[in-house]
Amino acid sequence: MNLARLARLLLLSVALVTGPASAETQLKVYLSSQGQPAVWRKALDQFEARNPGIKVMIELGGATSDLQAQYLNTVMSAKDPSLDVLILDVIRPAQFAAAGWLSPFPEKDLQAYLRPYAEANTVAGKVVALPAFADAMFLYYRKDLLDKYDIPPPKTWEELAIAAQKITDGEHNPNLQGLSFQGKAIEGAVCTFLLPYWSQGKTIVENGKLAFDRDAAIKALALWKGFVDKGVAKRSIAEVATDDTRKEFQAGNVVFAVNWGYAWALFQGEGSAVVGKVGVSRLPALAGGQQSTCLGGWEWGVSAYSKHQDEAKKLAEYLSGPETSKFMAINGSLLPTYPALYTDSEVTKAAPWFADALPVVRTARARPVTPRYNEVSEVIRTTVNAVLAGVATPADGASQIESRLKRILH
Amino acid sequence: MTTSFPLARATGRAKPRRARWSRLLDPGEATLGALLLAPAAILLAVVIGYPVCKLIYTSFLDLSLTSGVPARFAGLANFQQMIEDPVFWQAAWNTILIALITVPGALIVGLALALLANLPFQMRWPARLSLLVPWALPLSFAGLIFAWFFHSEYGVVNDVLQRFGLSGIIWFNSSRLAFAAICLTIIWKTSSFMALIILAGLQTIPRSLYEAADVDGAGLVRKFLLITLPLLKPTIVVALIFRTITALQTFDIPYMMTGGGPGTSTVTLAMYIHQNTVSFLDLGYGSALAVVMFILSMAVTALYLRMIRGSEAVE
Repeated sequence: MNLARLARLLLLSVALVTGPASAETQLKVYLSSQGQPAVWRKALDQFEARNPGIKVMIELGGATSDLQAQYLNTVMSAKDPSLDVLILDVIRPAQFAAAGWLSPFPEKDLQAYLRPYAEANTVAGKVVALPAFADAMFLYYRKDLLDKYDIPPPKTWEELAIAAQKITDGEHNPNLQGLSFQGKAIEGAVCTFLLPYWSQGKTIVENGKLAFDRDAAIKALALWKGFVDKGVAKRSIAEVATDDTRKEFQAGNVVFAVNWGYAWALFQGEGSAVVGKVGVSRLPALAGGQQSTCLGGWEWGVSAYSKHQDEAKKLAEYLSGPETSKFMAINGSLLPTYPALYTDSEVTKAAPWFADALPVVRTARARPVTPRYNEVSEVIRTTVNAVLAGVATPADGASQIESRLKRILH
Repeated sequence: MTTSFPLARATGRAKPRRARWSRLLDPGEATLGALLLAPAAILLAVVIGYPVCKLIYTSFLDLSLTSGVPARFAGLANFQQMIEDPVFWQAAWNTILIALITVPGALIVGLALALLANLPFQMRWPARLSLLVPWALPLSFAGLIFAWFFHSEYGVVNDVLQRFGLSGIIWFNSSRLAFAAICLTIIWKTSSFMALIILAGLQTIPRSLYEAADVDGAGLVRKFLLITLPLLKPTIVVALIFRTITALQTFDIPYMMTGGGPGTSTVTLAMYIHQNTVSFLDLGYGSALAVVMFILSMAVTALYLRMIRGSEAVE
């Protein structure tokens, strides 16, 4: 084989390999495994049908929000261009934007979305990501048991403790717990701390500065420890993660449970012991305080390292649009980020409880918005875990949170 | 090029040529040795020297990917921060404690297992096979399996306790019990590695020594103390070096079992480095922590090497 022939062959093989790719853009979307990738796939199929030049692949990784963030941190700090569109927990856009990993949407107006999501995706006046779906923490309760003992859904944590004790005493079921919530050192434990802390009208960060109230923190930690000491929650609550709470409630072993919106659809699904027996309401307040809940939800960001910026932004706009939001509400029970959809007849037919969820999502509060959120979260969740395990007192815990947050948010 | 090869000097034929070319081509034995070593030295410099230098350099930087500001030289600020950081002290203490407990633990269990596997009975292959299983299992799997074992509700450990009429324990609610559970798991996982190395050492001891001892009427204990143990010493030291360094780098097992909890009471140095670099993206502080771990590992290795040299001098 002479050299010229070899060169021709090489050129031909290069053309064969790169040919199809140049005619079609391949996009890769990073999705959370718990965020119903099968339903998102259907929405992506529609996008592909309307945009014949673009193919979209899904990448999954990490079982929890923390592990997903670790994975994305590794990919993005390596400036890896392989991911184009990323789903991000509502607490992450600020950190990702500060690191320069997101490509902003300069022309985008977020007014059509629920206000907390418009705020969570705007960093230093720039729109850095678009809302995917909403979420908030709710109080799930056993409607059948509350009816049996003639107890209305509790408005305060104190009422909840009394109701839980009355029902567990009356049922004589050793497996029945009064209340399940997240005590393991995971993201959910940050909300565990914040619910009663916020309920006292306090915040952690105000105008970018630490606004920590030690007494309110002691009260918040003491509330949860009190539930353990009184037997309202089980002694091993420090081992309980978000989905453990969901499974315990779904098995019929819990009267009250603190959990996110995703749990509802599963409680009504196959193999659930509580189908038709579940009530959902706003989370209680401390006596004399205001009812507060933790804002959740997920956002679509476009990687700053994506080699297909225009196509990736087009896809993010599509996934965040009202049409996809409605499709995901009906088919995946994911709470929409457009207020109008909560009263849409097709949506309420598929998920009747969405009408009650709107005021909860509207009033939900965002966790501290700071690029150093991961550190703030770690301080709070490990302390909540230590207090619930009994290795630190609520007063020690509050002091630890204060001194460690001072170093992070100075 | 034969003229530059040292063997050529031994032959008389090469002598006149050598005289002619010596200044130009014969680099001399020392230089030649250096030249032959150069590829290995360059490889080492690239794969070990460069990352270590880069790590030390980064430890002096204020380099946090979440701050949005470019890296800048910060002097000893990261090390200053470490001194004031209670979690660092906790992690360092936990790491040292894990090494102090699990290294001798794994040595004793490993020695016993190796002696068992070396017994002259016919069916010793099950003992040898069972040695390989924990060694071959990935660390994170071992952590996950033992996290289930020690789970307060569906764990096998509490199940056994309850069968004996004892009450179940919430292992991960207590710093000490969680720490004990981690150490037990590490000893289980690593003693088979010790046993495999010691077994190899045992098989190099000549049988004739034991036969001679039998003639002299020595018992099992005397044979063990006077023959087995002294002849195993170099093997044991090598196994200890490996095990101690991996103990100082303990990550997977506590990460999977407790995630550092309750609170931060079972965090190790390696976990804290991972947290600061991968979760918090504080590469400067994470590198400073890694430098401390590197120094700790080097110091321990130097100590062991000194021990070996000391014992050789005595012999």
